[in-house]
Amino acid sequence: MLLNRRALVKASLAGGISVGLTGCSLLPGKASGQPDSYVGAVGLPDGSFGVSAFDRSGSILWQTPVETRCHSGCNRPGMGETVFFERRPGWSFYVFDATAGTRKHRVGAKAGEHFVGHGIFSTDGRWLYVTASRYEKGEGIIAVYDAEQDYRRTDTFDLNGIGPHELTLHPDGETLVIGLGGILTHPDYDRMKLNLETMDPALLLMDRHSGNIVGRFKPPHHQQSARHVSVSNSGRVYVAYQYQGPLYETPPLLARLEKGTLREYRFDEDTQIALANYIASVVAHPENDLVAAASPVGGTAIVFRGSTGELVNRVSIADCAGIQALAGGDFLVSSGRGKLVQLGAATPARELADLPVHWDHHLV
Amino acid sequence: MHPITRLMCTSILAVLSPLTWANDANAQARHQWHEGIANGYEALSSETADLNMAARKYCNAPAPDSRKLLEAAWLDAFLAWQRVRFVDFGPVENNNLSWQFQFWPDPKNLIARKAAYLIGNDEPITPQVISQSGVAVQGFPMMEYLLFDQQLNAGDHALPAARTCELLTNVARHAKSNSDELMDGWQAFRPHYLETDQYHDTTIRAGMAALEILEERRLAQPMGLRGNGKRNPYITDAWRSGNTLMTVEATVDGLRQFFLPGLATLLEAMGKSDLATRIRKQFSEVQQNFPGAHLPMATALNEEDQFRVLQSLYVDISQLATLVNDQAAVALGVVRGFNSSDGD
Repeated sequence: MLLNRRALVKASLAGGISVGLTGCSLLPGKASGQPDSYVGAVGLPDGSFGVSAFDRSGSILWQTPVETRCHSGCNRPGMGETVFFERRPGWSFYVFDATAGTRKHRVGAKAGEHFVGHGIFSTDGRWLYVTASRYEKGEGIIAVYDAEQDYRRTDTFDLNGIGPHELTLHPDGETLVIGLGGILTHPDYDRMKLNLETMDPALLLMDRHSGNIVGRFKPPHHQQSARHVSVSNSGRVYVAYQYQGPLYETPPLLARLEKGTLREYRFDEDTQIALANYIASVVAHPENDLVAAASPVGGTAIVFRGSTGELVNRVSIADCAGIQALAGGDFLVSSGRGKLVQLGAATPARELADLPVHWDHHLV
Repeated sequence: MHPITRLMCTSILAVLSPLTWANDANAQARHQWHEGIANGYEALSSETADLNMAARKYCNAPAPDSRKLLEAAWLDAFLAWQRVRFVDFGPVENNNLSWQFQFWPDPKNLIARKAAYLIGNDEPITPQVISQSGVAVQGFPMMEYLLFDQQLNAGDHALPAARTCELLTNVARHAKSNSDELMDGWQAFRPHYLETDQYHDTTIRAGMAALEILEERRLAQPMGLRGNGKRNPYITDAWRSGNTLMTVEATVDGLRQFFLPGLATLLEAMGKSDLATRIRKQFSEVQQNFPGAHLPMATALNEEDQFRVLQSLYVDISQLATLVNDQAAVALGVVRGFNSSDGD
């Protein structure tokens, strides 16, 4: 996107240069043993890009410039490293010291491949699994890197499909859960969607050792691009769609995997409309049954119960996208307008901070 | 009616009427937008029909006059496209029609490479071949390349060479067919557009995006005001034919004709008539102060006195973008976000 310079410069002048915590002294901690800082890809007021981390007191821990816009990232378990991926078509990913923000590695995509913005580590912190595309043939792959050998590429798993996006690790520690969006793109044609009529999206389960696909689950409509995924601590798998059909159609945008099929959630009509056929991220809370999803296009974030589909909260947050589960059962939602909002089932949404940055899609 | 009841009714009306008024204004704006864009698409269809005919005539009987008519027909059709280029929703999204009309920018010169490939092999160039050749082949920039590219025109494949004519006429036919599809699609889309409230924001965002692209990518970047600071005419529209500024003018004109009326209706319904008037005035400013539209971008970038003229245009358009994208959009509660306008 083109940054709106005028708005940004104004925002940054108004917001100052540090995190402005609004009405509280500490941000809540993350749920379930995650590091106590928050990291996200950001767009900056001067039109450049970075990766930014802040702590619970609202102080920026570090903000490291990157060459192009990044999308999402992941923490390396036990090793104090955070990895961020350039967004599609991504030609590199970056490894940062999680404490100081210094850039330890920049790993380029192999010739003929590009990354798509997401990756996940094995629980022992050794293997990094990255979604990628062999763009000439349009083949989706998982690229495997050995973090213990300075992120050397060690393996490639074929997905037999187009357009992988987010992946995560099942709590069994062995199964990769992968959103296969189904959309064909090619770097020569910017971000143009080349196959909207013949898309074939799916939720994939893959054995992370062998690369064997052990489950492939297709949404009912071929234009329900299955791009984002999350798994609860109990192992329930969630998938979020970005519907590629017209705006006047409002199909379900979220589903859970149950008994070998995708069981979709359909909310009331107003909520369906408010989500604008686009979910940027979905997160299952590790401490409870709640699931949060955010739509920047609709400027709407929701929280619902995973087991029943009951909608328990819906708020308007302009350009919201990133979600992080908080200790105590709530969620933190970030927005492209620099907001951080706490959202849960029991209490009204609460704005915690307003920063002079654009948070990109995912908060790590 | 008891006075108290009457009073209550009055109060309720007083509360309801601005809402009703706003809803009426929303509906009216969408009607205006739909009708305006329909007119724009109709013009595009008519101009591409003329272009299709002109391409056939020229290739059947190549002569300086028919060439001149063909070049003029290409420009008229391309400018008709520029007037509706801001519409980035609805049927123009089907089959990437927008990209088919105009593959831009082209940093890897795919257009020249694709043309060389198609002209250079022996297979007949048919409508099916064009349909399967991708967006770099299918629209106005390819026709511009065939008509105006200096290197091509200096070689054996220059028009009216048979293969080049075959490519040109089939691309013209393809653009004509797409224009008709777009016009029909827009009419079929009408009930959805009028009934679906989200198209209110979608349409405003489309106008905002067009102004931002105009300001940043079509002017600031080639003028060297962004990035590495180098001036570069080759990233502009229509650089091969030297018609860049005419395309800019046509886009502004299209926004004025097809986007502004609905926008003004909404602002006026909110009591923001002053802002609507300022936006109208700024559109006029841009158009009145427009530099010689026939000035090729390369000249404007290379000659300092001409560059100053370009700077004035940039300032005018920048002010227009500020009025629409900041003030009007904020007043109407419409946001173009970092994630919402270009997410993943």
